[in-house]
Amino acid sequence: MNRKENFTAGFIRENPVFGLYLGLCSTLAITTTLNNAIGMGVAVILVLVMSNVIISCLRKVTPSEIRIPVYIVVIATLVKIIQMLIKAYAPALDSALGVFIPLIVVNCIILGRAEAFASKNGIFDSALDGLGMGLGYTVSIIVMSALRQILATGILSFENPFDMEQVIFSFRLIPEDYIISMFSQPFGAFITFAFLAGGLAAYKNHQNAKEAKREAEAKQQAAQLAKEAK
Amino acid sequence: MKKVLHLTLFLALVAAIAGGALAFANSLTAPIVAANALAAEKENLALIFPDASDDDFKEIAVKDSETIEKIFQVAGKGTVFKLQVSGYKEGTSFMVALDDQAKIIDYVVISNGDTQGIGTKVADASFHDALVGKNAEDELDIIAGATVSSKPVVDGIHEAGKYLLENLK
Repeated sequence: MNRKENFTAGFIRENPVFGLYLGLCSTLAITTTLNNAIGMGVAVILVLVMSNVIISCLRKVTPSEIRIPVYIVVIATLVKIIQMLIKAYAPALDSALGVFIPLIVVNCIILGRAEAFASKNGIFDSALDGLGMGLGYTVSIIVMSALRQILATGILSFENPFDMEQVIFSFRLIPEDYIISMFSQPFGAFITFAFLAGGLAAYKNHQNAKEAKREAEAKQQAAQLAKEAK
Repeated sequence: MKKVLHLTLFLALVAAIAGGALAFANSLTAPIVAANALAAEKENLALIFPDASDDDFKEIAVKDSETIEKIFQVAGKGTVFKLQVSGYKEGTSFMVALDDQAKIIDYVVISNGDTQGIGTKVADASFHDALVGKNAEDELDIIAGATVSSKPVVDGIHEAGKYLLENLK
């Protein structure tokens, strides 16, 4: 697998949220507003890149018997540091995301990438993998939260996470009489998730079918050529 | 034996480095977090005493109370209690300002996580108006139909009044 494929894997083919179904607890819970999604996404990208780099650095000296505890210590430390920084510099974001920041520790995406990728690959590739997977996660939750926010409140808005008073953009897409407030509730999250995951699966199936057809055609052509040559 | 020692030492080393990194990050952010928390409190306090300056508020440590979270004394004006009480779901977080005789000067709800339209009545102006001017020690009216949310609030105000007369006289 080359570097570019490795980097873009997280977007469609191995999308952590809608493709691998990893880290769904926080995904379902925090995707109520765009602000939450972006804040959470950035936190996950930072943790994922740094944990991948550190674990990749340690991969030659980490005894395999205790590799999981070592990964957990590294990840938990990084998450705690990020949490302290968010608390200090973006307190509004901290109160909005609440317990889901410390829960990044047990987000399977991070431990999954540490075990599946960073422990076997070099530092640069691991950082790239972390960034790609993190961006895949972030894009997924941004799409999901934008859909839910628009359907539930009719408004799509984004405030400066360091100063919630400062609105960067906010516009109404659906008149107030036609909003569906259930999309801010947990079952709204499940419905949105199901449609997006289904959409991605349909797209992947379509791609696979196209590829299979192309391969079959190529085979047929080769067979015909062989026949003619005879 | 050597293997066990190696594993133990490696994990201990990783944990020690992690602990060091955390202590460093904490020393950087703790003062800012504390300042943020105080600024948020002052914003709420300004609702009650808008003409008092930030320096007039003095925080007092709370002794033995589960509901009283914070106490602020405001020079020459009174004492503000911040309380978190139970309710139907998440309960109510509110502030009540008392004068020296435990008379209620003001009552401000910071947040209420109970049923919309029922429990949230504790934040209504009518409940506020019924409380202000009464003494925190007296019998206070509970909202009919929202007992589960308003009774803990009234109990909290009683407790604040008792605390004021017992500890802060």
